[in-house]
Amino acid sequence: MDGDMNTRSTPGRWFAAPVAVFMMLCFAAPILIVTWYSLMPSRTFGLTGDLTLENYRSAFTDGYGRPLMWSLMGAATTTVVTAILAWPTAVILHRYAGKWASVTSALIALPIFISESVRLFGMSVFLMPRGGILAGTLNAVFGIQIGSIMNTWAAAQFGMIYIHLPFMLFPLLLGISLIPADRIEAARDLGANRWQSFREIELPLAAPGLMIGALLTFVLCLGANAEAAILGGRAVTVITAAIEQRFNYAQDWPMGAALTVIVIAVTALIVLPVLSRLDLNKLTGR
Amino acid sequence: MNKDRTLSSLAARNPLSRPMQHSSHRRKFLQGVAAGMAAAALPGGLAAQSSRPLSLLTWDAYADPNLLALWKEQTGVDVRYEIHISDPSSVNRLRAGETSVWDFINVNNPWARNVMWPAGLIKDLPRERFEPLYAEMKPKFQMPYKWAMSEDEEHLLGIVQRYETFDFVINPDVISPALAQDEGWDLFNNPDFAGRYGILAYEDWNVMDICMGAGIHPFKEKSEEDIAKFEETCKRWIENAALITTDFVQLNLAILNGEIDMYFTGGTYTTAAARLEGVTELYAITPNSGPADGKGGINWIELNSAVNNPDFQEASFDWLEFITTVDAAELVARGNGNLQPVSQMSNPDLMARFSSEELAAIQWDEFDQRIANAVEFDIVPDYDRLYDIYSAAMRERG
Repeated sequence: MDGDMNTRSTPGRWFAAPVAVFMMLCFAAPILIVTWYSLMPSRTFGLTGDLTLENYRSAFTDGYGRPLMWSLMGAATTTVVTAILAWPTAVILHRYAGKWASVTSALIALPIFISESVRLFGMSVFLMPRGGILAGTLNAVFGIQIGSIMNTWAAAQFGMIYIHLPFMLFPLLLGISLIPADRIEAARDLGANRWQSFREIELPLAAPGLMIGALLTFVLCLGANAEAAILGGRAVTVITAAIEQRFNYAQDWPMGAALTVIVIAVTALIVLPVLSRLDLNKLTGR
Repeated sequence: MNKDRTLSSLAARNPLSRPMQHSSHRRKFLQGVAAGMAAAALPGGLAAQSSRPLSLLTWDAYADPNLLALWKEQTGVDVRYEIHISDPSSVNRLRAGETSVWDFINVNNPWARNVMWPAGLIKDLPRERFEPLYAEMKPKFQMPYKWAMSEDEEHLLGIVQRYETFDFVINPDVISPALAQDEGWDLFNNPDFAGRYGILAYEDWNVMDICMGAGIHPFKEKSEEDIAKFEETCKRWIENAALITTDFVQLNLAILNGEIDMYFTGGTYTTAAARLEGVTELYAITPNSGPADGKGGINWIELNSAVNNPDFQEASFDWLEFITTVDAAELVARGNGNLQPVSQMSNPDLMARFSSEELAAIQWDEFDQRIANAVEFDIVPDYDRLYDIYSAAMRERG
């Protein structure tokens, strides 16, 4: 019996080898190099200096908590808001849109194929005060004069929601499709109201899709930089901008590396517990 | 000029999707170039054919399709390019091993002499071939020109071409240029302009400008008192900025929309194309005076260098010579729809190709005076400490 198991498992290992090598080279090795750099003396470029934790000490004492807080807050807010927006959209697309569902989905998906920065520049022209498309049109057509949220954290947050909605919507659509219509009917027949039906039936059944959407959105937003730069006018500094500053104008790779390791660790702390609860077999209907 | 059209045309010219700005004059010129190409001989001989394309890590002007087409016509050598994000990020890339990827790099003056050459990232040029090219440039570039040479003055590190003084930009409808030139950097210290200016986040430049605003010579050693003055000015200037961006089109639009009245850092590079389109609300200012030995402006001079590629190809040197020819220098000056003075503008043949409108767009009548009122971009002593103060002020904003 044991021999049979070994015979069966050995080819599996061989088949997995190319992926394992790929992951080692493209995933594990860069993280190892970045981690090693983070232990090098500040503002050096070699990998052979004396090991030090000084960069980590600076990361906790030199005001980097604030950019990390903005990034975490932006990611959390975007995840919640896109989930709230995507749920009814997914329900409508799945249950009521009929033949329009695929056209509507394609229209929502289409912007993903356009560079994020281009879309954000387009949005900045839309939101600009006075001569901007929104403010200018309202003034020209209705004589209404409005201000603008441009160059504020609110604008950056709006941009994050605008950019990341599809990343929540499509996994959620998959999750919603896992809910059998007869379960909801049965719940209603047994006296459940809409809220009970949503909480007891729909939400648990669509949870895998919701979790994948939430993970995608959260992780992408944690690394987002362009929204705060293009729409936010750098009203705040997000952690990726702070990291970029260290690598770039500060020419301080070890400090940039230490901040990167901290962000990876924070991401892992948040994401891994969620991932461990995710049942992909359930999502794929197996 | 119709403001809507200006706005849409400016917005369309964001750095990520910048269309070419061709005038009919330029098309005719290019047709003429194409017709005469068979007879045109590249100085120094035809570039050697190579198995790999010439690879440029460059600011946008040298990626201009017309320039690349002219090069291809003359030499048959293919070119690939990538446009910089910033000087330090490209130096990082060479440092990280990309010397085997690139053949050409152009960054601002101090990087070659003080960083890339000592780190072995660039190759020195044959002096007998390239020094005569300096004799054809504006007088300030005559040999031995400091920024083109290694510190021991033994090695020629590149060819200078685009240059200007890069300080700040105002809306002349709000502030008179004469007043701005007299007031200089103190304009940004004036509480009346708090929330009425932007910052173009070319961050090493911002550090130098804040030094000027704090009354400190950016390129001299700083005392503790100087550092304290810098810190106070830096926090105030960053906190009072209405917006901070790496995209100068956004800042130009903010001036047009009345959101701000001025921004730093800026100059001909950020205003000329819009001014040529008739936007009169943008005006580049170099202060008449300041704390840098009495000067308030800062000049940048791009140095075009050959990367120390282990698989070096002779075409790298040919390219460096090619860009100084009149036809190529004109295309560089107009690179990617912008207008930028070049060192070869001492050549009457080249000058004759610019219209009076174009010269007005680059404020050519006052260009030499602006250059004279400025010191040259150099390495900032205590830069690390000043930059840490600057980036901490950024993190504290908001």
